[in-house]
Amino acid sequence: MKKILLGLGCSVAISLTGSSAFAQQTITLIAYGGLFQERYTKTVIEPFQAANPGITVSYFALPSSGQMLGTLRAQKAAPQSDVAILDVTVSKAGTDEGIFEKLDEKSVPNIADLRPEARFPDVAGVGVTFDNFDIIYNSDLKTPPKSLKDLASPELKGKVSFSGMPDIIGLSAVIVMDNKDGGPGLAGRFDKGITAMEGIAPNILTWEPQPEVYPIIISGQAMAGIGWNARSQLNAKLSNGKLKAVIPSEGTVFQINTINLVANTPPARSEVAKKFINYALSAETQKRFSEDMFYAPTNAKVQLEPSAAEKTALMQMDKVVPVDWIALAKIRDAMMDQWRRRVVPASR
Amino acid sequence: MSAVALSANSPKNAGRVQPMAIALLLPITIVSLVGFVAPVANLLVLSFQKAEGTGALLGGFTTETWTTVLQDMFYLHLILNSIATSLVITVLTLVTSYPIALYLHRSRGSWRNVLLVLVISPLLLSAVVRTYGWIAILSDQGVVNRTLMFFGMTSPIRLVFNMTGVVIGLTEILMPYMILALLAGFGHLDRQAEEAALTLGATPFTVFRRIILPLSLPGIALGSLLCFVLAVSSFITPKLLGGGRVFLLATEIYDQAIVSLNWPVAATLSGVILIIFGTALLFYTRLLKSVM
Repeated sequence: MKKILLGLGCSVAISLTGSSAFAQQTITLIAYGGLFQERYTKTVIEPFQAANPGITVSYFALPSSGQMLGTLRAQKAAPQSDVAILDVTVSKAGTDEGIFEKLDEKSVPNIADLRPEARFPDVAGVGVTFDNFDIIYNSDLKTPPKSLKDLASPELKGKVSFSGMPDIIGLSAVIVMDNKDGGPGLAGRFDKGITAMEGIAPNILTWEPQPEVYPIIISGQAMAGIGWNARSQLNAKLSNGKLKAVIPSEGTVFQINTINLVANTPPARSEVAKKFINYALSAETQKRFSEDMFYAPTNAKVQLEPSAAEKTALMQMDKVVPVDWIALAKIRDAMMDQWRRRVVPASR
Repeated sequence: MSAVALSANSPKNAGRVQPMAIALLLPITIVSLVGFVAPVANLLVLSFQKAEGTGALLGGFTTETWTTVLQDMFYLHLILNSIATSLVITVLTLVTSYPIALYLHRSRGSWRNVLLVLVISPLLLSAVVRTYGWIAILSDQGVVNRTLMFFGMTSPIRLVFNMTGVVIGLTEILMPYMILALLAGFGHLDRQAEEAALTLGATPFTVFRRIILPLSLPGIALGSLLCFVLAVSSFITPKLLGGGRVFLLATEIYDQAIVSLNWPVAATLSGVILIIFGTALLFYTRLLKSVM
């Protein structure tokens, strides 16, 4: 009798432990902080948790993709994070180091609905958001800039600010101006873009707008600059129109954030992570996030409300200059050298 | 000499002292090994690894990064610029802190305590907050430029987002460290020696040059070493006040590690900083020996 009771007790204990573990699955998402965290939590994580009561998504925020990769490198032996949202070039580095596991349509069915630009043969992750850069300006400005070259106007002397190279904003502006001027492109290390940037450099207030470029322009410390579309549109809304954003006449480029599955996590966590990634890539989720924060969706089936669609680059695809970010990463040092020698001295 | 020291020095207890000394040193040795030596060793190993253009670390062993860093004119200029800027900041910090420290040293009673708290209080505030404060003060619409324009200046002077801003900000941020180091080194100052010199006809300037200054050299050496090391390694103030126009070792390490993802270059530059620190420490030790 004692043995029967003991066995019964054990099996109850085991089943309770098991069900409790199942009921409390927690995965960790590592992604950008600030407005991204706030909006992503509201439009993606909370609805996911509501639809899956047994799952909790813990958000670990870091300011940049580079810092995320650093954290993931440190955790490589025993990963604490399960999903990472970061820039495609950083995803490529993580892929090459075996930090991320390749996602496919079998484990994440919604990948089948993604635009071709969101899928990369040599990258483990897939595109989850597209963003593009805009010219941003304070609405008090008498002559609003329409092109990147307008940022060289004498009216804007000492009143222009954006993140210089090696930041991707400065890099993107160089690429677009090089393309507009019929430049040599990747093969010529975007030399004409560097030359065009030399013209804007004397107007620069700071190449390091901190904490972000948007409040600096809203406050009038700088009057114009370059910012990411999603954050620009949201800041335009939050500042009641004090900040304006427009795609430059020269064009823009897509910055691609990828969603990645961290490799070597326990199988149970990995399955939940795939479920979350599939949810994040679904048309319904992407529509909700895009309409809230104006990132362009990567799911081709998303039909945005016109008011939201016109605030993304989707309505002006002809202005998007194609960029091979992976190939570009390999010549970034050489471009950086030109930036230091030619552009920065022109801004002193 | 304390009783503990006396008993430790006696031949009878010599055998017992060694295990005790080892036991006392063990915790800090472990902390130092785990928290300093191991990460630095890891950093040096990283500096000899290969990296892809995308930033991916490929392992292996190469001296290419060290060769590039030590031969590239940009990096050589960066190293010299960092040393020169840090020396200028150290000298300015010394010049501005010395009178305050001397006054504090000679103050007595509760007034001295009030002044000491005032000197230390900036350390209670984050350097980031103080740096943002300097942006507000030195910007085109800041207090300084507004005052100058009130008195007839036609356009604002650029005091921030350049080297001027970095020097002003870091000098202020390092002043409390310099003052505390000077106060710690003022122990040899003797008021009676100064009075004797004055009695013998020396001018106040001669007293300062021949008595006060030589006696305060240990404090000057300590404060200068501390501020130089802090200036070379400071990152957030040059990043915020330099506006992307000032290239220093610490900001370059950040860009290489976080933006360009080139960890081997970042690790190599960190190694260079360690060499600079080692040289500064050697120089300080020699200087101290010559003045003591």
